[in-house]
Amino acid sequence: MAIQKGHGIASIEYPTGMNQNGDPSQAWIKVKPDGRIDVFSGTTDIGNGSKTIQSQIVADTIGVPYDWITFDNSNTDSSPVCTGTFASRATFVAGKAVLKAAQRVRERILEVAGQEMEISPDDLDLDDGDVFAKDAPTRRMSVGDVAAAATWTYGELITGTGAHLNPYVPIVDSSTGEVDSPPHAAISYAACAADVEVNDETGEVRVLRLIQAYDVGRAINPALLEGQIEGGAMMGLGLGVLEDSYPYYPSVDNRAGDFGSYYAPSSADLPEMVNVIIENPSVDGPYGAKGIGEMANNAQPAAIATAVHDAVGVWVTELPITPERVLAALDAKSGGSGPRREGKHVAYDEEISINAVGTGLAWRAD
Amino acid sequence: MKITLNGADAQVDSPPLTPLLHVLREELGVLSAKAGCENGGCGACTVLIDGSPRRACLTAAIAADGSEVTTVEGLGTPEALSPVQKAFVHFCAAQCGFCTPGMVIAATAYLDKGGSGSREEITEALAGHVCRCTGYLKIVDAVAAAREGDFDMSVAAESPHTQVRA
Amino acid sequence: MKAVGARLPRYDGVGHATGRTAFVDDIRAHGTLWAKALRSPHDYATITRLDTTAAENMPGVRAVITHADVPLLEYGHLSALGIPADEPLLAKDEVRYKGQPIALVAAETTEQAADAVAAIEVDFAPKTPLFDVRKAFDADVSQPHHWGTVYPHFEESMDRRQIRKGSIEKAFDDADKIISGVYRPAAIEQMPIETQVCLSVPEPDGRFTIYSCTQALYFSMGVVAAHMQIPLNRLKFVGGTVGGGFGGKVDTATETVCTLLAQRSGRPVKWRWTREEEFLCSSTRAPWHMEIIDAVTDDGWILGRKMLTLHDAGAYARFSPYGVTKHSFHHTGAYTIPNLHFDGYVVFTNRVPTTAMRGYGVTSVSFAVESHMSRVAEELGIDPFELRLKNANRIGDTSPNGIAYTDPSTVDVLHAISEATGNELAPGYAAASRQRRAGEWLPDHLLAQISDTEVH
Repeated sequence: MAIQKGHGIASIEYPTGMNQNGDPSQAWIKVKPDGRIDVFSGTTDIGNGSKTIQSQIVADTIGVPYDWITFDNSNTDSSPVCTGTFASRATFVAGKAVLKAAQRVRERILEVAGQEMEISPDDLDLDDGDVFAKDAPTRRMSVGDVAAAATWTYGELITGTGAHLNPYVPIVDSSTGEVDSPPHAAISYAACAADVEVNDETGEVRVLRLIQAYDVGRAINPALLEGQIEGGAMMGLGLGVLEDSYPYYPSVDNRAGDFGSYYAPSSADLPEMVNVIIENPSVDGPYGAKGIGEMANNAQPAAIATAVHDAVGVWVTELPITPERVLAALDAKSGGSGPRREGKHVAYDEEISINAVGTGLAWRAD
Repeated sequence: MKITLNGADAQVDSPPLTPLLHVLREELGVLSAKAGCENGGCGACTVLIDGSPRRACLTAAIAADGSEVTTVEGLGTPEALSPVQKAFVHFCAAQCGFCTPGMVIAATAYLDKGGSGSREEITEALAGHVCRCTGYLKIVDAVAAAREGDFDMSVAAESPHTQVRA
Repeated sequence: MKAVGARLPRYDGVGHATGRTAFVDDIRAHGTLWAKALRSPHDYATITRLDTTAAENMPGVRAVITHADVPLLEYGHLSALGIPADEPLLAKDEVRYKGQPIALVAAETTEQAADAVAAIEVDFAPKTPLFDVRKAFDADVSQPHHWGTVYPHFEESMDRRQIRKGSIEKAFDDADKIISGVYRPAAIEQMPIETQVCLSVPEPDGRFTIYSCTQALYFSMGVVAAHMQIPLNRLKFVGGTVGGGFGGKVDTATETVCTLLAQRSGRPVKWRWTREEEFLCSSTRAPWHMEIIDAVTDDGWILGRKMLTLHDAGAYARFSPYGVTKHSFHHTGAYTIPNLHFDGYVVFTNRVPTTAMRGYGVTSVSFAVESHMSRVAEELGIDPFELRLKNANRIGDTSPNGIAYTDPSTVDVLHAISEATGNELAPGYAAASRQRRAGEWLPDHLLAQISDTEVH
């Protein structure tokens, strides 16, 4: 028996927002009489951090401290449409909706302040909860006083709505799959390097380290972003070496009905992790952000599979890479199996039905 | 039956073999312990019974009779967080938050019993608690740092695992 | 301090750490009934008899519903896109997977609800199930779905999602090597720690307040309104705080039946799936079968890719056509490949329907493409970083469906990983960038790929 070490990489891309778009989000914001800000968004927080991220976007866009923001996504009576929290769309698409609503609120605050200060709104700026003259910053007025004036002097509610929709992108030619505009809000990119050790007697694979680089556009909140990267990495590790709803797929027998019989990642499986965050701002995203939540479990399985090959010289192409599969592959290898070569064709796996299905083109020499 | 629940006396009228989780949630209205599996598998219902972490779903009410039961509500309040709760907030160790009460209880018990705080020990101590969101790294970081205590709670902790490049 | 870019603690972190955050199961409504489901014990069967009379008369039972009680029985996940519905909210004539809900009972206690479920009289005539997507194209195979073995409603009634680009024949002719492989990632469980759960409360004004774990409040509200054939102002969804969601909580698995039971009983109704139901009856990530044949040159250019994908949808379509389309759009991975021939099928089987899950449609292809890239690198004897950097999509390159990339970062993330792992790149590769292809980075076979149009 020997513990063999291996290393592998993978590089991936993933769209932000629903594929083919057509997924609106809307938001509205109102200002309390003391200047505090209430955000109403329909974006669910599934643990991804929508509440925090959207509050951060609103705070900076209006120009008030973060702790002035209350965020309410609790119900459909008070919050407008959000297509939902999936497809890596909550930060970008729904974030754009709150950003636009916040821009309108900011504009209206400046207009009311302009009336109070007798300065054109164009000559006013707003930061950290204060409106001030651009060329005479000592002339200033707090957003609280502006909101009070709106409420008690002008009889007005300062409010703003925002909506974001990248219109649905139809496939213009169903035979080629062509589209005529981008079928996504943005694309994010990532790469992963995995270090594993493989026990060549038991077939057990242990993931020792995952080094991962993500182009996130802009990290609105690096701490929550790390949560997506790390949580996704563990799910990717589960996909790679542990989890299977149908252990002898396609059989439907042997399904696990409880945590005791389903191999989910636990804290004991936690590898060393290194996160490299690259900020290459997107053209359209809020503050340049893109979505990365979904792609966070996509790179690890192939990086791990490649690392297993590096360690023991066998490709396991059926996930998860269980000890049973590793041992079967090692047995096949010791029996002399490898890619079948025929002219310029190199067949790693024999089971190819591609020529028998649909519009398959023959490629074999015959 | 009587228990001391988060420091106060509580009368329990459910039948004696009722799972403690059911007693807490349905009879006594203490909701932090979660019914994640009701089968001992996830750890989301973990509470302290006389200082030891126990699965409330697998503990009969009668087994807790006369004991001190502590849920995460009893460890600290929003105004006065316990050291482990502070660390969980500061390290963003909760994402969806559903496994968090059980995690906080388990981590508290581990540290209270004199755990060294080494990463190996922590991952072992928490291995029976399933989290699907965080990937465990921030949870382990939080528990490892919980004894330091004096965090700036207005910001999240820096991560030693991350490099940022413009 | 600016908020954007700051490491701020979670908005709801204190609530989470103190156990104060209220999830659906923590909502208390006076007089709440508990729901339990009669689920199919068969993978595939005709329902020959369904009689709930005895169950309705059981102690504590306040409402029983079957397919006959649902105003619009079938409403598809993709109905808003004009894609026809195929899945009944409650099984009517047949069951197509083990665990499929047939009837629901609301009773005073969970035990009473379970007893009543056991008292529902139901008979089945089992049919031959199909589990293996590879048999979907065989003659005389059992049909798992009324549409056949594959989803037939892609544009222009096509039975597959197709991508065609350039000439795959020429790529194969020009290739030095043609390298094939098959990749089969497994289904996995969604496994949120909070199981599927809903509490529906009938209000005195005729509305329903629906406490839901959905990831998509408005989508789910639309689903309930459609099934019940009522306007949106009859419904108030309450949620926004979900105990883990990875795609499966878009399914809206509990909300409509709870509301129908609440309507019928006049009482609040809660349906919280057991962990066993969550494992066995909630939708999984799909299993996939992918075959890749790449035409490559000895110096590491990928001239063309032929790919076949069989997506195991399970018993009903749910989001699968969307997933396979997304898959097809990304089947070149992070690389520019000028000649493509892709066919992707949504294949029906008699297993629990699969649905969206983190990385939907692309997790599978990332595994297949990146495993295959590693094999190509091995076969050609090329450094895995160099193979990837060479073919990496660059500004101006076009995607499988003809859209120019404007800000691809494949080169950047590979450089970052190379540096972080202490790998030494050859000078030409270390100097590579995302910029528009030129010189030796623009070989003849990629000339036609470069778009002059600035699109983003």
